Amino acid sequence: MSIFIFGEWTGTDLHDSTYELLYEGRRLADILHTPLTVLFIGPPEGKEKAEELIKYGADRVLLALDQRLGDFRDDVYSRIVTQLLSKEQPEVMLFAATAMGQALAPRVAGTLRLGLTAHCIGFEIRPEDKALVQIRPSFGEDVMARIISRTKPQMATVRPGIFPKAPKDDNRTGHVETLALEEDLFVSALEILERQEVPVKDISLKKAKVVVAGGRGLQNKELFSKLFELAQLLHGAVGATRPVCHLGWVSEEHMIGVSGATISPKLYIGFGLSGALHHMVGLKGAETIVAVNKDPEAPLMRRAHIAIQADVREFLPLLIERLKGLNKK
Amino acid sequence: MHIMCCLKPVPKPGTIKVDPQTHTLKREGSELELNPYDRYALELALSLAEDTKGTVTAVSMGPPNAKPILIEAYACGADRVVLLSDRAFAGADTLATSYVLARAATKLGPFDLIICGKVSIDGETAQVGPEIAAWLGWPSVIWVKEARVTNKTLELVRLTDSHLERLKAKLPLVITTENEINDPRPPSLKRLLTTLEKDPVEILTAQDLQAEPQRIGLSGSPTQVLDVFHPEYQSEQKFLSGPVEKLVDELVSVLKERGLIS
Ligand SMILES: Cc1cc2nc3c(=O)[nH]c(=O)nc-3n(C[C@H](O)[C@H](O)[C@H](O)COP(=O)(O)OP(=O)(O)OC[C@H]3O[C@@H](n4cnc5c(N)ncnc54)[C@H](O)[C@@H]3O)c2cc1C
Ligand SMILES: Nc1ncnc2c1ncn2[C@@H]1O[C@H](COP(=O)(O)O)[C@@H](O)[C@H]1O
Repeated sequence: MSIFIFGEWTGTDLHDSTYELLYEGRRLADILHTPLTVLFIGPPEGKEKAEELIKYGADRVLLALDQRLGDFRDDVYSRIVTQLLSKEQPEVMLFAATAMGQALAPRVAGTLRLGLTAHCIGFEIRPEDKALVQIRPSFGEDVMARIISRTKPQMATVRPGIFPKAPKDDNRTGHVETLALEEDLFVSALEILERQEVPVKDISLKKAKVVVAGGRGLQNKELFSKLFELAQLLHGAVGATRPVCHLGWVSEEHMIGVSGATISPKLYIGFGLSGALHHMVGLKGAETIVAVNKDPEAPLMRRAHIAIQADVREFLPLLIERLKGLNKK
Repeated sequence: MHIMCCLKPVPKPGTIKVDPQTHTLKREGSELELNPYDRYALELALSLAEDTKGTVTAVSMGPPNAKPILIEAYACGADRVVLLSDRAFAGADTLATSYVLARAATKLGPFDLIICGKVSIDGETAQVGPEIAAWLGWPSVIWVKEARVTNKTLELVRLTDSHLERLKAKLPLVITTENEINDPRPPSLKRLLTTLEKDPVEILTAQDLQAEPQRIGLSGSPTQVLDVFHPEYQSEQKFLSGPVEKLVDELVSVLKERGLIS
């Protein structure tokens, strides 16, 4: 019995999500009284950082190190993971739902004929049989599903930004093993020719202290764009629900929720949006939630700290006017 | 180049029905439409086939009411449109779905390339593409923004969390497309009219695909939904209603209280 997590190398450092996996992996390992192992695949320069993961909660770090592993080649990486899982047969294997995790986990699941639960936001251990219960938002508008896997290792990808990062403890000890890698593991159909950093469009949603978000209730692009004016007055950022991104009122970088960003502002105001679970998942860290909606029964109205029953068509322009008035004084 | 393109039928938002016993989607009962992200996959398939004088086979696994999706794909220019439909496929998770699609690739192929969309808006797993590759023993590349054929290899640009990567991939290969990478063409009226005379949709069952019964549908699905629940949020709540001016004032004073405005 053991829990494995995947340690992801970004090219210069470990991905933040690896520390989040360590946090949740440690918690699960403690419940199951089982060791927590990190599998690290990367170039030799990642060795030191990977070894340090012991201090962040790992009992064991397995290192697959080679210069040729500096490039993420899907076929090579998945061959290494697959081979190791067949040999070690852990109970649980977790990946972060990053670009790399989403490329890798399903290749491994398909090859080993395993179940794989996508984008989990929570886990439980079922007391009677120690099964890993995997929690993710479900099809419906306001429901979560508990999912189990009949195959082992029980595999899941974990939504980045949901779990806190594991704390560092300099006194922790553990084992580091370097894996022997046979030459045929490196056979690949892929050759990386060039890599170019993309400037991440920073709309500061993730760091904003105030987020004003809008949904379909804002009726049209014109009214929605008023949110940018409001955000400016409050020194905040603009968020959106998925449907309004699809309607083209605003670009997808503004989306909050399972398919978008996870935010943790001091204040969140939702205008004309229902508060579907898919959206609410992204509000995990919001301190104060305000809802403005004409329907008192909308899920966000029930969830909000301050629920304001109003028509956004009147409320939003008036609010902006008032705030502008205050600024002038 | 011969290309298979996977098009997923998804319920129209608002028409979703869930089986109360298995908690899986009941696609028969829902109004289905093409997963919006798969339009980019189809457009890429059609344009690569044009460039290489190849063919596109569009494939969906779904109930009979998914047929209009394939008729639309045909009208857009797909050479062959195939619906994989069998009661035994119902309740499939991604492993069982990708198995059936991989069987279809073997039966209808050989193909050089399989293209999937980035993610479906109902399942939202983004797993089926790489899993098809795993069943076939092929390589895979996800989130592809550009693809160009140069003698027997594909030159790709893919998106990672922080980079754009240009890479060269040998065929056969499975890719999934990034969204908004092209302008999907509209259906051609002329091709649409021909479908009134002759239905282009071929239907294949589990038996036609020689699919192993224990690999398909609910029994071929290792993941099971135990139950669903509504998350509970307990918070002290202030409920405000009344004239809009008063409500705006109240919100402004809350913002002041919290030091968010001066
Ligand atoms: C797999 C999956 C993933 C998803 N991922 C996301 C995601 O990441 N992020 C996301 O946001 N959504 C996501 N969704 C969609 C989500 O389930 C909801 O459909 C969506 O959040 C609802 O958007 P909305 O609140 O803008 O629209 P609606 O649900 O239509 O709500 C509009 C609200 O506006 C109110 N309203 C209407 N007119 C007025 C008015 N004049 N004044 C005041 N109020 C008014 C209505 O009472 C209603 O509550 C996902 C869905 C699925 C199936
Ligand atoms: N039932 C299906 N029929 C055809 N293609 C599918 C099906 N399910 C998934 N796909 C393909 O796999 C992609 C990812 O789907 P998903 O794993 O459900 O997010 C979709 O964009 C489709 O291209």
